Amino acid sequence: MTGSWVPVALSSDLPSGTVLPARIPAGPLALWRSQSGRVAASADRCPHRGMSLSHGFVRGETLSCIYHGWSYGQAGNCLRIPAHPGLTPPEAIRTVTHPVAEADGVVWVAVGEPAATPPGLAGLVPLRSITAFVDIAAIEAAAGAKATAEGLLDAGDIRLLLSSTREGETLIHVLIAADAGPAERIAAARTAEALRRRAEDIQKKGAAQ
Amino acid sequence: MMKLYDYILSPSCYKVRLMAALTGTTLDLRAVDFHPGLEHRGPELLALNPAGSIPILEDGDVLLTESSAMLVYLAAKAAPDWLAGSDAKEAARVQQWLSFSGRLTSSLGGARLHEMLLRPGDIGALQSSGIAALRELELGLVEQAERGQKFLAADRPTVADIACFPYVALAPDGGVSLDPYPAIRLWSRRLRSLPGFIEMPGIHRLHELKPEPQLEKSET
Repeated sequence: MTGSWVPVALSSDLPSGTVLPARIPAGPLALWRSQSGRVAASADRCPHRGMSLSHGFVRGETLSCIYHGWSYGQAGNCLRIPAHPGLTPPEAIRTVTHPVAEADGVVWVAVGEPAATPPGLAGLVPLRSITAFVDIAAIEAAAGAKATAEGLLDAGDIRLLLSSTREGETLIHVLIAADAGPAERIAAARTAEALRRRAEDIQKKGAAQ
Repeated sequence: MMKLYDYILSPSCYKVRLMAALTGTTLDLRAVDFHPGLEHRGPELLALNPAGSIPILEDGDVLLTESSAMLVYLAAKAAPDWLAGSDAKEAARVQQWLSFSGRLTSSLGGARLHEMLLRPGDIGALQSSGIAALRELELGLVEQAERGQKFLAADRPTVADIACFPYVALAPDGGVSLDPYPAIRLWSRRLRSLPGFIEMPGIHRLHELKPEPQLEKSET
């Protein structure tokens, strides 16, 4: 096994017919779900003029660029160029795509050649995703605990799934028991904000020294 | 007819145009040369609004200079569903986010004016306070979802949503990314899906709501 599954977004944040910007170490992604519910991850760059495809839109089973409307399928192949309606786009026009898996309410993107399935969430379900402008080390310091190799961190009052999106930025998926009620879930959402504040304070103080 | 002193690139003016469109109200638009003419600081407009800001809304003997008041006025006249109902929590939430919208204007709006019109200011501080405001809004929407409500103050859109939406949607103009806010992203989609939604430069409609345009045979 020479790769890993990166938890890029929560399933609930990507309804059918939408696209959102995500990130893996190789760079930015356009993560999208077709009308019929199929998820795909494409490099966030239209091969035509370089526009971010995450600014685009999903119609039916295709992702379209906001700039000139070039449309792409799940496999990244260009299906339609509106300015040349009679043209079947050549095979060479395609975006770079990455394998995607959806498990436990999380969308995972494969980097390298990881295990057949993404790691589990220890029986928990995802609550929300927040971004912290810190490295994972600052979150571990704020939580007083270390994350596992898969990015799971038990901070006592809250459980997290961490993913480093780039230097100085970490995507935090807040996890919670599946049977938690609304009050408990709102409390956990706020606890995560407090942990982020502490982590960002720690990183700021570290940078000031 | 109500007369709006308007500037196409102003998010605060857009709030009023959007509310009018969503409530089926026709406005008489009077374009103001905000930039580069500084017409809002000239004698004619200062006579209407000594604060020197736009929008300004005139309707008979009613003269309003605060956009949140304009949203309430348009809603009360044409579509009272957009106002808070009698529920105490809902009424308070509408007021909470109407007041909060002023912080979006000063932070994200300030960063945008700095980046687009070179208005002096501490861009780092403006962007930081803009990020803090976006994080508050994101948490507010997450909490609303837990209460089974899709919008800021209720399960239906209210004036509070319209007061907050434009400066949030235009945050990237001020160098503040919207990528980290999944709840804001979905809320923005819901607002842009409303019947009667109109665009402004930088805030586009959802193209996927319309069928794919096809060229006429004569054009191919």
